[in-house]
Amino acid sequence: MNILSNWLREWANPNVTDRILVEHLTMVGLEVDSITPIVPAFKGVVVVGQIISYDKHPYADKFNLCQVDVGEEKKLQIICGAKNIRLGLKVIVAMVGSQLLNGLEVKIVNLQGVKSFGLICSESELGMSDLSQGIVELEDNTPIGKDIREHLNFDNYIIELNITPNRGDCFSVLGIAREVSANYNLAFNLPVFEVLAQGDCAISTTVVDTKSCPKYLTRSIENIDNTVKTPKWMADKLVYSGQQLHTPVVDIINFVLLELGQPMHVFDLSKLKGNIEVRMAKRDEHIELLNGTTIKLKEDILVVADSNLVLSIAGVMGNMSSSTQNNSTNILLESAFFELVSISGNSRSYGLHTDSSLRFERGVDFNMTELAMNRATQLIVKICGGRASKISACIDKSALPKLKPITINQEKIKKILGLELDVKWIEQKFTNLGFKILQQTNNSWTIIPPSFRFDIRIPADLIEELARLYGYDKLPVQKLSLEANINYTSEADINQYDITQSLVNRGYQEIITYSFISEKYHNLINPDARKIRLLNPISVDMSIMRSSLIPGLLQTVESNQRRKHTDARFFEIGLCFDGIEVDEQSNKLAAIVTGNRFSAQWAANLQSLDFFDIKADLESLLMLTGSEFYFESGQHVALQKGQTAQIILNGEQVGWIGALSPMVQKQLSLPNCYLFEIDLASIKLRNIIKYKAFSSYQQSRRDIALVLDEVVPIAKLIQSVKAMQQQYFIDIILFDVYIGEGIKLGKKSVALSLIYQSLEGTLTEGELNTKVDEVLALMYTQYSAILR
Amino acid sequence: MVSDLIDAILDRAKTSIEKIQNLQELEDLRVSFLGKKGELTFLLKNLGKLSKEQRPQMGGAINQVKVNIQTLLTDKKNYLELIVLEKRLLAEKIDVSLPGRHVEMGGLHPITITLNRIQSLFIKNGFEIVTGPEIEDDFHNFTALNIPKHHPARTMHDTFYIDKKTVLRTHTSPVQIRTLENQNPPVRIITSGRVYRFDSDITHTPMFHQIEGLIVDKYANFAQLKGLLIDLLRTYFEKEVLKVRFRPSYFPFTEPSAEADIECVMCSGKGCRVCKKTGWLEVLGCGVVHPNVLSSVNIDSEVYTGLAFGIGIERLSMLRYSVNDLRLFFENDNRFLRQFR
Repeated sequence: MNILSNWLREWANPNVTDRILVEHLTMVGLEVDSITPIVPAFKGVVVVGQIISYDKHPYADKFNLCQVDVGEEKKLQIICGAKNIRLGLKVIVAMVGSQLLNGLEVKIVNLQGVKSFGLICSESELGMSDLSQGIVELEDNTPIGKDIREHLNFDNYIIELNITPNRGDCFSVLGIAREVSANYNLAFNLPVFEVLAQGDCAISTTVVDTKSCPKYLTRSIENIDNTVKTPKWMADKLVYSGQQLHTPVVDIINFVLLELGQPMHVFDLSKLKGNIEVRMAKRDEHIELLNGTTIKLKEDILVVADSNLVLSIAGVMGNMSSSTQNNSTNILLESAFFELVSISGNSRSYGLHTDSSLRFERGVDFNMTELAMNRATQLIVKICGGRASKISACIDKSALPKLKPITINQEKIKKILGLELDVKWIEQKFTNLGFKILQQTNNSWTIIPPSFRFDIRIPADLIEELARLYGYDKLPVQKLSLEANINYTSEADINQYDITQSLVNRGYQEIITYSFISEKYHNLINPDARKIRLLNPISVDMSIMRSSLIPGLLQTVESNQRRKHTDARFFEIGLCFDGIEVDEQSNKLAAIVTGNRFSAQWAANLQSLDFFDIKADLESLLMLTGSEFYFESGQHVALQKGQTAQIILNGEQVGWIGALSPMVQKQLSLPNCYLFEIDLASIKLRNIIKYKAFSSYQQSRRDIALVLDEVVPIAKLIQSVKAMQQQYFIDIILFDVYIGEGIKLGKKSVALSLIYQSLEGTLTEGELNTKVDEVLALMYTQYSAILR
Repeated sequence: MVSDLIDAILDRAKTSIEKIQNLQELEDLRVSFLGKKGELTFLLKNLGKLSKEQRPQMGGAINQVKVNIQTLLTDKKNYLELIVLEKRLLAEKIDVSLPGRHVEMGGLHPITITLNRIQSLFIKNGFEIVTGPEIEDDFHNFTALNIPKHHPARTMHDTFYIDKKTVLRTHTSPVQIRTLENQNPPVRIITSGRVYRFDSDITHTPMFHQIEGLIVDKYANFAQLKGLLIDLLRTYFEKEVLKVRFRPSYFPFTEPSAEADIECVMCSGKGCRVCKKTGWLEVLGCGVVHPNVLSSVNIDSEVYTGLAFGIGIERLSMLRYSVNDLRLFFENDNRFLRQFR
C-alpha cells in the first residue's frame, strides 16, 4: 500500500523527519519497502518567478522573449515557447546551472543570436504528474523568488508499505496514523463528520444472510452534480497513492477507502429496480462486472441484488449497468461490514482482487461503517451538492465479531521475552493501542482489544504487541541453555556427505534440477511409473512430479552439450515420487557420464568413457557400505539392451546401470551416455569392522584358464567359487577375459588366480592341488567350463 | 733393472688411464695390468726367479705399484660413472612445470555447500537433522500451522496443487508438525530441503530451498532465539561484528514473529543496489511457536515454549558467493557449477 507522508501527518504528526518516521514504522512491523519524493530531487536553484514583459522573438516567431522577475535586482531574459504565457503570470523558473528530470541541465542558450538565461518549467520537466499542457501556472499570490520544492511541498513522500496479512487495520491513513500515535505517545481521537440528513433512504434493503453480512448501511443522495472536477487536493492524494481518477463520486469513495480503510460502493439510483437484497447468488445467475467480464455465479457467493439483477459481488466488485456516470444525479451509497471468510472465498474463486476485497479479506473495523458513510456523504455534498437521506441500517448485532477479554501476566511475558517490562510502561502501551483494561492486579491485566484489531486474540498476541513497541532490537540476547540432549549419530550411518564426496573425488559435478518434469520425459524414461500431475503447473514442461532423476540428468547433459561442454560427469540426489503418500517419496541417487575418460591433456590419450568407467565409480561408492551388491543383466526402457544391469541388494532390485538407449539418444539428440540410478536407502549403512587374524605363512597362488560359453556371467562364476567356502580360500582374482583366435566361436577364455593360505603353516602341493581340483570340478558341473 | 721396469709400468698405466674414455676400455686396461694374465701378475709370478734377498724388496715394490694402479683405476671408474649418470640425468630431464596426469575433480552444488555449512553449525549446537516429504497434505502444510482454509496468509503462499487436499510443500515448516507428532519435548531439530511456490520471474524460481529449525523446551525464550540466530549469521558470514536487526513480522505459526535483517554484506550497510539502498538485507523469519500449533500436536503451551526459524538458502548462497541471478542455481550450466569446485 502506498501512503503520502503529508497526508499521514494531517492525522498524526510526530516531531521527527519522514526518514526517521519510516525507519520507525519498519521497526514496529509496518515494513516500508521504499520511500520516494512525489517530485524527484533536482539540483540547483528552481524558484517562483513572474513574467513582467514578453515579446515575440525577432527571428523565431514561435517563441517569446520574456523578462522574468525572480526576486533579484536583475531581471532574467528567458526564451519560452509555451502558449499559455501571459503578463503577470507566476511561473516556475529553473536557473542556469540547475539540473532537472533525467539530467536535463539548464544552460545559457543562444537562439538565433538571442540569449536565454534559464527555463520556464512545465510539469513534465520537473517530473510532476503530467496533467497539464504548457508551463505551470502558479497562484497569483505566490511569493516571487521562493524555492519551489518548499512552496509546492515536493518533499512529500510516497511511502510504500508492505502490510502483513494480520494488520488489515493498517490499510488506511487512519490505521497508520493510529499506529504512529501509539508509538509516539500522541493523542488520537476519531474525527466526527457532520452531515445534514433529511428524509428516508429512497430504497429499502433486506439482508437475507446476516451471518455473512452483519451490517449493511445505505443512504440515498439526490440531485448531485457529478460533472464537476474533483478538487486538486483530493486528486493529488489519490494519484500519488496510486489511484486512477474517475468521476468525483467514485473518487470520493476511493478517497474514503484510503483515508478510513472502509470499502464502500455507489450505485446509480435511477438504474435500480425494486428493493435491495443481500443474499447468496441463485443458480445460474450472472453478473457483468465493471471490468467488462461476465461471470456465472456460484451459489455460495454473497451478492447484492435488486429485484431485477445482481448489482455486485458483495465487497468485491459492482456490475456495469448500475454504476455511476458523469450524468448520474441520484445515487445510493453502500457502507457495509462483510464477514471476511465469505469475501476471501468470493474473490479467490474468480481471481478478482480489488482494493475493496483486499481490505475485507484482511478484516475491516465494524465500527467504521457509519463514520465512513458520513465522511463520504460530507464530501459528496460539499463537492457535488445534493441532498442526503438518513442512513438505512440493517444490523444483526449477534452476527458481529465478539471481542473477548484476554488475560496476561508479568510472569508469562517474562517467560517468553526473557525480560521483565515495567508495569507502568505496559499499561501505557495497552492504552495507546486502544486496548480497554477491564481488570488489573499488580502484575496481571485483563483487556479487550479494539474492534479494528482482529489479530489480537490470545496472550501471545499481547506479548507481541508489547515486544513490538518496546523494540525487538532492544530485547535481550541470550545463549541457548536448554534441556535437549546432544544428538546422537551411529558410526554405521553413512553420511550423505560421504556419498557425495566419493563421487566428487571421481570427477562428478552435483546438479539440482526441478522436481517437476515434462510428460514427454516421463513417458520416455519411466512410462510405467505413476504419473503425479500438478493441477496448476508453471508450464507443461513442468507438470509431472519426477519418478526418476534421469530426466533431469539428460536435460542437463543436453543443455551443456549445446554450450559445447561435451565431457561431463553429473549426479543428483533428490526425492522421487511413486505416489503422494509419505512412504512413496524416497531419495534416489543418479549419475551420468559422457564424452572422454580424461579431459584433453598432454599426459593422456583421448578415450571414450564406457560402461565400466561408471560401474567402477558406482562400485567404489557401494564399497562404503560393505554390503554385497550384484549386477544382473536386465532391460530398462531408457537403457541399451545388452548394456543394462539391475543393481541387486539382498535379492531386491535397488537400481539400474547401463548405457543410454540409442532410441532415447536419438529422440533427445544426445551423445553416448552411461548412467546409473539407485535408491539412496540402499547406501545408508556401513558394516562396523570386526578384525580377523591374518596368517604369517606364505600365500599360494594358482592360475587357471577356463573355456566356457560366452553367455555365462563371470560374476556368477566368481560367486560360485566364493560360495564353496573352501578351507584356506583367501581370494579369487579375475585377470583376463579373452574372446578370439584360438577360442571357439561362442566361447570365451577366463583367467583366474586362486589364492590360498593357512593360519597354521605353508600349504603343500598336494593340499593345493586338491583345492584347485575341487574348483575345476565345480566349474565343469555348473558351467561346463573346461581347463584350457 | 727390474725396478725401472716397474716404474715404467706405472708410468704407462698412468698415461693409459688418462686417455681412457669409457668403462669398457678401462676394464680392458685393468685386465691388461692386473688381470690373471696381466703384466704385474706376470712379474709377481716370476718373483721366484729372483734371489732370496731381492725377492721381498721386489715383491713389495710390485704390490705398491699394483695398489697405485688400482687406485688410479677406481678413481677413473668413479669419474666415468659420474659422467654416465650425468648423461642419463640430462636425458631424463622433464619439464616439472607441466601439469600432472589427472581426472578433473567434481564439485558440490553451491546450494549443497551452503546447506552443509549451515547444518554443521547446528549439529555442533546439538540439533538433530530430520526430513519430511515434499508432497504434503493440506493439514501439515497449512491447517496444523494455524493457517485455516480462508486465512489470508494462504495467499502469501502461491501453492502448487496435486489435488484439493494435496500440495507441494510451500515451506519446510510441515516437518515441525511431523516431528512433534512423533517426538516429545525437549526437541531440537533442523530440517532442510526443497520447497515450491507458484512464482517464476527474475527473482523467483518455482522451487527453492529452505532450512528450518525448531526448539521446544521448558525454558526457551525469544532472547535465546535472537542469540542463536545472531551467532548463526555471524558464523555463516564469518564476520564477528556483523550487524543483525530483528523486526516484527507476521507468520501464522509464530507469535511473536520476527524477520531478521543483516547489514548489507555487499556495501557494508552504506546502501547499494542489492539492499535497495536501505543498507539492510532480509535473511530469515523466526518467532515463538504459536500456541495453536503446539496444541495441534498436543503439547501444553503453558509448560513448553517453541522457537522456530526458517532461512532461504538461495539468498544466503547468493550473498556469500556474489551470485547475482537466482536462476543460475537451477540452470546447471557447467560454467557456473565448476566455479564452486
